[in-house]
Amino acid sequence: MDSRLRGNDTYVIMVSMKLTNNQILILLPVFNESKVIFSVIRSIQKEGWKKILAVDDGSTDNTYDELKKTGVIILRHSINRGKGSAVKTGLEAAKILNSKVVVTLDSDGQHNPKDIKKMVEEIKKGYDVVLGIRDFKKRHIPRFKAFGNYIGNIFTWMFYGLWVNDSQSGFRAYNKKAVDLIQTNNDHYEFETEIVREIVRNKLKWSEKIIDVRYSDYDQKKRNKQSFVSAVKMIIKLVLFG
Amino acid sequence: MSITFLSILLLLFTFYLIGERIVRFIRKEQNQSVFKLVATIFIWGGISYIALFPIHNSNTLIFFGFIVVFFILFRLLSILEKNERLLTEIIRKEALKDLK
Repeated sequence: MDSRLRGNDTYVIMVSMKLTNNQILILLPVFNESKVIFSVIRSIQKEGWKKILAVDDGSTDNTYDELKKTGVIILRHSINRGKGSAVKTGLEAAKILNSKVVVTLDSDGQHNPKDIKKMVEEIKKGYDVVLGIRDFKKRHIPRFKAFGNYIGNIFTWMFYGLWVNDSQSGFRAYNKKAVDLIQTNNDHYEFETEIVREIVRNKLKWSEKIIDVRYSDYDQKKRNKQSFVSAVKMIIKLVLFG
Repeated sequence: MSITFLSILLLLFTFYLIGERIVRFIRKEQNQSVFKLVATIFIWGGISYIALFPIHNSNTLIFFGFIVVFFILFRLLSILEKNERLLTEIIRKEALKDLK
């Protein structure tokens, strides 16, 4: 299939990559999700994904016990270090497990496991990184999330010169090349923005795919860590410490 | 402009710090950001300017006070950030041991 790749202006022939289920790692950073984590993992397993890695980022509730019931690979941070650090631990684990593709998604159930397949299909086409993007025109997505994300997109573009439609989405897919090349420093939500920097720095081929998001009552009740204030903190941190 | 031994010493010291930061930035050493470079040039450049053209009034002292406080704060934040990252690395290594 002849197709133009985003991120560089060359036409290339994309060769479809052959992958077995075991070469695809589904990575879940988890922190205090004991109420939903079991059902979230079951729903991923129902879609046929066998190799699932959960990184328990120092949960203080029963998350670890719930994870053990699911039979997935579990890694555990002894204390909470932030979502970015949990994803990075997972990416390091992917190297050890020799995974060819890594798909990251949030562990609170907001992402639809049915979308994993289309993310993997995109990687098979030859992209190094696929960013899952939320369709903010949909009514069920809170307006403040859409606004916060738009501000994040503007700053991401200002810092790294790359416009992405959802700089804060946790639903992403990486091939082995991207996993090997990406180097991040930030432990928290700045991590998502850092990935965009790494795409630019390493000239990775990237694409975007619209994903389904479900904001449940459970999700809304949780402390919103991606509020406007945390977005400002994130920007300051990225400016100060890179 | 009144050049004294102390102002020459201060100038050499500021040139060393600015030069070192520029070299580290050019080498793209980790944790080197444009902000750090600009802040270093601004702060130490300002100090060297005052060393060359001293102004003897309270505003200058207040200005210096702000610079010093800002610099200390920035250093503390940098050290804190570095320690946070080191801690994360230790936690990560421990977590990955389960896999090896």
